[in-house]
This record gives sequence, C-alpha cells and structure tokens, in this order.
Amino acid sequence: MSITLDQVTKRYQGVPVVNDASVDIGDGEFFVLLGPSGSGKSTLLRAVAGLTGVDHGRIALHGRDVTHISARDRGVGLVFQNYALFRHMTVADNIEFGLRVRRMRRAERLARRKEMLRLVALEGMDERLPAQLSGGQQQRVAVARALAHKPEVLLLDEPFGALDAKIREELRRTIRQVQRELGITTVLVTHDQEEAFALADRIGVMNLGRLLEIGRPDELYTRPTTRFVATFLGAANLLLARQNRQGVHFSTPGDGSGRSQEVVAVIRPEEIELAPARDQLRSTYLAEGRVDEIVFTGALERMRVRLNDGSTQAVLAHSNGGDTAFLEVTRAQHEQRAFQVTTGQNVAIGVRRVHVLPTPLSSFTACALTAPEVDRLSREPLLVELATRMKTRIATHVEPCLGIDDGPCAATPDAFAGAAVIGAQRDTAKSVRWLLEHGAEEVLVLPQNASSPQRVLIYWDDEASRAATLAVSASLLRHLSAEAVYLDILPDSTPATQRPHGMRALLDARSEAQAVHGLEMRTELRFGDVAGELVRQLTESPDQLLILGVSDAAGLEQRFRALLGTEPRWPLLVVYRAPEPDA
Amino acid sequence: MSAFRQPSVLPGFGLTFGFTTFFLSAIVLLPLAALVLMSMSMHWKEFLDVVLDPRAIGSYRLSFGASMLAATINLVFGFIIAWTLVRYEFPGRKIIDALIDMPFALPTAVSGIALTTVFAQNGWIGQYLEPFGIKVAYTWIGVTVALTLIGMPFMVRTVQPALEEVQRDLEDAAETLGAGRFYVFRRIILPTVLPAMLTGFTLAFARAVGEYGSVIFISGNLPMKTEITPLLIVIKLEEFNYRGAAALGTVMLAISFVMLLAINLLQTWGRRRVVAVGR
Repeated sequence: MSITLDQVTKRYQGVPVVNDASVDIGDGEFFVLLGPSGSGKSTLLRAVAGLTGVDHGRIALHGRDVTHISARDRGVGLVFQNYALFRHMTVADNIEFGLRVRRMRRAERLARRKEMLRLVALEGMDERLPAQLSGGQQQRVAVARALAHKPEVLLLDEPFGALDAKIREELRRTIRQVQRELGITTVLVTHDQEEAFALADRIGVMNLGRLLEIGRPDELYTRPTTRFVATFLGAANLLLARQNRQGVHFSTPGDGSGRSQEVVAVIRPEEIELAPARDQLRSTYLAEGRVDEIVFTGALERMRVRLNDGSTQAVLAHSNGGDTAFLEVTRAQHEQRAFQVTTGQNVAIGVRRVHVLPTPLSSFTACALTAPEVDRLSREPLLVELATRMKTRIATHVEPCLGIDDGPCAATPDAFAGAAVIGAQRDTAKSVRWLLEHGAEEVLVLPQNASSPQRVLIYWDDEASRAATLAVSASLLRHLSAEAVYLDILPDSTPATQRPHGMRALLDARSEAQAVHGLEMRTELRFGDVAGELVRQLTESPDQLLILGVSDAAGLEQRFRALLGTEPRWPLLVVYRAPEPDA
Repeated sequence: MSAFRQPSVLPGFGLTFGFTTFFLSAIVLLPLAALVLMSMSMHWKEFLDVVLDPRAIGSYRLSFGASMLAATINLVFGFIIAWTLVRYEFPGRKIIDALIDMPFALPTAVSGIALTTVFAQNGWIGQYLEPFGIKVAYTWIGVTVALTLIGMPFMVRTVQPALEEVQRDLEDAAETLGAGRFYVFRRIILPTVLPAMLTGFTLAFARAVGEYGSVIFISGNLPMKTEITPLLIVIKLEEFNYRGAAALGTVMLAISFVMLLAINLLQTWGRRRVVAVGR
C-alpha cells in the first residue's frame, strides 16, 4: 500500500475537522477525495503532506510510518489551488527548487528540469517568470515542480479551482497522462464530482470530517449506501418507500399494504420514465404528476415534475435541495421523440430502477399525548438538526396513551415508521417500552433544548441487538461530526480470567463496525453496574448522546432504572430488536 | 498633454494633474528653491568656509552616520517586530500593535526628554550601563537611540503589510520540496519582503536625518562630537546668520537627495526582477 491512513483525527479547538478517517491507497492509484467545502478533505490532504499534525491515528507512506515526520522529510509532492509558485524565480528555478535543496549537481538538475518540462508540455519556457505565464501554464509548472524531486506520492489540492472550464479539461488530461506515465500514487482533493469521475480510480467521499464511502466511481453512483453520497454524486431524488418481501412500493403508510418496513429509496433522474397514462408506462408506476419546468440542455432535457396530491409526501430531497414536491427528471433524445411533453402537461411517472439505501433510520415520528406537545417536540432543535442533516422528514403522531394512561390506544403496527421520538419525562421507561411493544424499533428520547452531541456513546445490552445498534449508530454518526465511543461494561465481579474475553469482544465490535458499516469508533472497557456506569459516563462531560441497544422491552424499566427512571437529561436513542424466536 | 495621458475610470486628469504640480511646487519645490537661491547669494569662498568648517563636517558625520546606523538597526529589529505582530497570536498583540505608532504621535521633544531621563548616568537603564563604561546620554550612542526610536514605526508599518501578503502556501510548498526553515526564510520570505524593507529603510533614514526635537535633549550638543547638522543650522539662525544656515541646509538637501535617489533606484531594480514586463 502506498498510503495508509488509520483512524486519522484532527481537531480544531476541540471540534473534529477530520474524524477517524481510514483508507488504504494502492500503488499507482489515482484516488480522489471528494466533498463539499468544509468537509475536511483539504485538512486530510495536508495531514498526509505533513503540513498539519494529527491528534490521533497513524499515517504511513509505503509502509513507513510518517505520522511524526515533518513535511520536508516525507517525500511528497504537493500542488496548491493558487499554484504557490515562487514569483521572484524563473520557471527553471521553481522546478529546480527541490533539487537545489537536495544539492543535486547542475548537470543532473538541468536534465531533470528538461524532462519535467517535456512531461507537462512546457518546453522552452525555462527562463520565463511565473507572471509571464497563463494560469494553466503556471499550474503545469507547479505540477512539474512537485514532481521534480521524484516524490513517492503526488498530492493535488483543488488544482483546477482557479482555472476556466476549457483549460481545466486540458490540464486534467495532462495530469492523468503524467500520472499514468510515472505510475505515481496520486491523491486529488476536489468538490467537483465531474472532475472526480473523470480522474479517479477510486473516490472517497467526505462530509463533516468523515470519510463516508470509498469505491469506484460507478459503484458509488449506482449503489451508494448513504443519503449524502446519493445526493452529492450526481443528481438524485430521495423518496421514502416501504419495502416488504415483494419489493419496494411508494404508497403511503396505513393503506393495508401489510407488514412492511420504511426505507429510503434513491431514484436517479434518468431512471424516471414519463408516459401519457399509467397503462402506457413500461416501468413500475410511481405516481401521477404535472410537468412544471423544462430546461433544454442539448443532449438532455431536464425537468421538474410536480407530484399530484397524495404522493408528494414521499419525496424527501433531491440534489438541488429546496422544495420537495418535485421530482427531478432527465430524458435523452429518443425519449423526447417518443413522448413530447410541454410545461403544464399531466403525465404518469414510472421508475425503471430503484436503489434502496441500507440505512435503518429512514425518518422520525414525533409522538406525544397531545397535539401541542407533538408540535413542540417536532420543533426541538436537535431533532430538526438531525432531520435536516439526514435529509429526512419529521412526521407527527398524537398518541393518547403512550403507555402512561390506560386510555384508548390507537397505535397500528405501521404507525411508527422510522424512529419514534418522545420528550424526556418521568415515565420515559414506560413510554419507551410501550412504543417498542407497539411496533417501533428505534425510539429517540429528547430532553428539552438538547444540544448537538460532540460525543456519541454506544452500548448494547445483548447480542440480539448488536447488529442493529451498529447499523443505527453508523447511520446517525454519518450526519454528525461527533466522535463515536463504544462502551463495554462488565460487572465488577468479573474474575480476572474473564477480562481478556471482554477485551476481545470490544475489538471484535470495533472491527465489525469498521468492516460492515465503515464506522470508526473508539472503544472503552468499564466495570460496574451497567445503568450506573452509563449515567456516570454521560454526566462526565456535556453534549453527549447515548445509543442503547436492547432486545428485552419488558425488562427495560428494571434494568435501566438509573438511566430511564428519572427524567433523562441526555438525548438517548433506544434500538430494539426482538431476539430470534429459536435462539 | 495627451501624450502622457492614461485612460482612467475617473475623469478630470487635467484638473488633478494641475493640482499635483501646483501643490508640489508651492509646498515642496518653491521653499527648496528659495533655500538654494539664498545660499547661491554667497560667494564660493564664503560658502565653502561655512560648509567645510570642521564643526560642520563633524555634524554631517554624526547626522548621516547615526541616521544610517539607526535605519539599519530598524531594518533588523523593525522586521522582527513586524514578523511577530503578523505571524503570532498572543495576548496583548493589539496593544503592542497600537504602541508602535506612539513615536508618530508623541511630540519629539517629549521622547527626547524621556530617553534622556532613562539613559542618563543615574537613569533607569543608564545606571546599569555606567559600570561597563557605556555612556548613552550625551554621546553619539544616545543620538542613535533617539533616531532609532523615531524611525521604528516607519519600518514596522511598511514591512507589516508586505509580510501579511506572503502566502503561507509558498512556505508550505517550499517545505514539501524539502527546504529547511532557514532556507525558506532566505529564499522565499526575504526576497518577497525586501522591497518593502528598503522602503521602510528609506523612510526611517529620511526621518532620522531631519530629526531635531528628540536629539537635542539626549545629545548634549558638544561641538564636533554630539552636534547634529539641524542643530548647527538652528544655532546659525539664532546668530541671524541666515546665509550660513541656508548653505548648511543646501548641503543636507544634496546629500539626502543623492542617498534617497540611490535607494529608490536600487528598489526599482529589485522590483523589476520580481514583477516581469507585461503578462
């Protein structure tokens, strides 16, 4: 492996800007770090270059641990967005800078410089000053300078950012060519997904300091696993759908479609088919709609189709954000010829291909005894923040009993699609138990005005809930810049001989989180009473959230009295999976 | 006039150019011309007697020597101060930044008296230097100290913006190319701020040559030893020897002009190396 990053974390004033990033980049690979501005991608690149220290984790270049080695001894070449050429030196002096530092002999230097200039197609420009060159030429000089001292790794920080479209493309081709010719391992940072697709062998998508997904461009496009990647890489419509054994369908809950699970579906604009009527569709019917806007872009026709009443609430988001009553649709020439549409026309909408995101937290449903309470709860800042970041919706549900009163309980099995949300109160344990027994699988308990967590504690009580807890944790943490800590708590009475087993369980959990969900987490082993220890951990520092996995709803009250008996002061996400019947 | 007219967003070239010429003439050129004319009214012999008088020669040496030394001290330490203010974040940075301008605002006589108090044989600092045989007040060292104080803000204030403009990326780039800190400083930072440092040097030097108020208190004004040319001029004026004063003034004018011109030429030459012709 050329570059190995292992749980690299960098904090600024306590806030992680790079959060547990791990990746292995192979020899000669062109790896693109893609993410919006502020996602920590440049910081990660600077950490690889050695210009920024890391607070945690390890960086290795060609098997050599360089975590504590300064930039000048790392042997990397770095290219900056603003070229960073030495303006008082000629092109020749710029390129030879790294060679002079290494006291290379004049003749060798000259030969190397000529070779570099040929590589970037700037022969004969030796004696020019940077100010006499165009932006594209300056960046070529910067690339030549970065490569002259034969670095093991080439790092490019938004190298095309300051160039106009045409030169950008030309330089892109040059860089790809040079990279292939030299076979040098390259990492490029960009916010432009088109650039990433054009250059990358593999792409790592970053958001909020986390390396969310890593994969080949086509893999990431067709089978993203997170909402962020689905909407950031190319255009996408995100819809809430229900999945059962037969497949995915988009009808609203409670229509008698039977026991099904709520999921988030990704539909690419080009996978949508339009037809004059439902029976003329050749793909699965989705809804009726009206064409609202058509933009002709040459090869493709882009439109926004407004969904007719009843199906509008299914749409969660699309890449362009904003109003969610629309679907984004693009059609190729032959589709346009087969069925011409005009603005305002009513159409039937079909879907050729749906990708279901394997994320367990599809949406939130705020539950309370009265309508005003539900209303207040659904506007809790933390809940709104989570829903916005997860690009999902907060549904509301007035539930007249919630396990507290003996009043009429109207809950249907489907009423709690996604995670149920309740406010923290004295009878939290009872309400949680009641919700779990009535079909909810995740319950979020929110104290009033809880702040966004900086640290997320993860604990599961038994094996049955382990997989689900990990999945939910991974899903939630992708949208937060908090650090994840997995706690294992052994009873005080654990004999010393058993303790190594505890350690092993801990490490197993960590590897599973990383391998299956791409979730990097710290691990801590504690001893004592479970509920008491959890409370102690939560009290230790502010802004924490606990994810608690359980499989015994009835025993909840008893076992976690210390945590749930009094009104909880911390946000708490209970993940429940019933044990397998035969276990 | 159209020959040297430049297209500009704002109209009124004629007006502004006329005003510039008038202003320069009225404020700068005319008085200087009067000065030169006044000294021209002397005989050559008389002029040379005044100008080459050993006391006058001694004062030139002190005035220009101490000014040069003070500007050089400022070149080094002013740069360090500017560097500290630009590159580091520390408590009280804003206060120190404001203090830099104090010599601008203070009447120079006040700083002269203050320096004398501090550096006199029984002053705060002077008493500790005395045992080593170092006398500051009433010697050329005192003159240099005063001139350094007066010139320091010029240096800091010209170098500061230039240092702020040095992109960190350049240093980072040099570092990834394998350059050590000293190498980066010598090859990257220094060449970039050198023009500004020269400007600061020029300003500090020019100010020091013309300084009067602060020096006369700390120098002791011993003829041939600690007497600066501006003081000599004042002495001549007090003796109603206007022509003698004008002669000395003309000499100062000539030497200053030559030195400033030389530095400016040096600067232009340096700038031409950095910013190339056209794009």
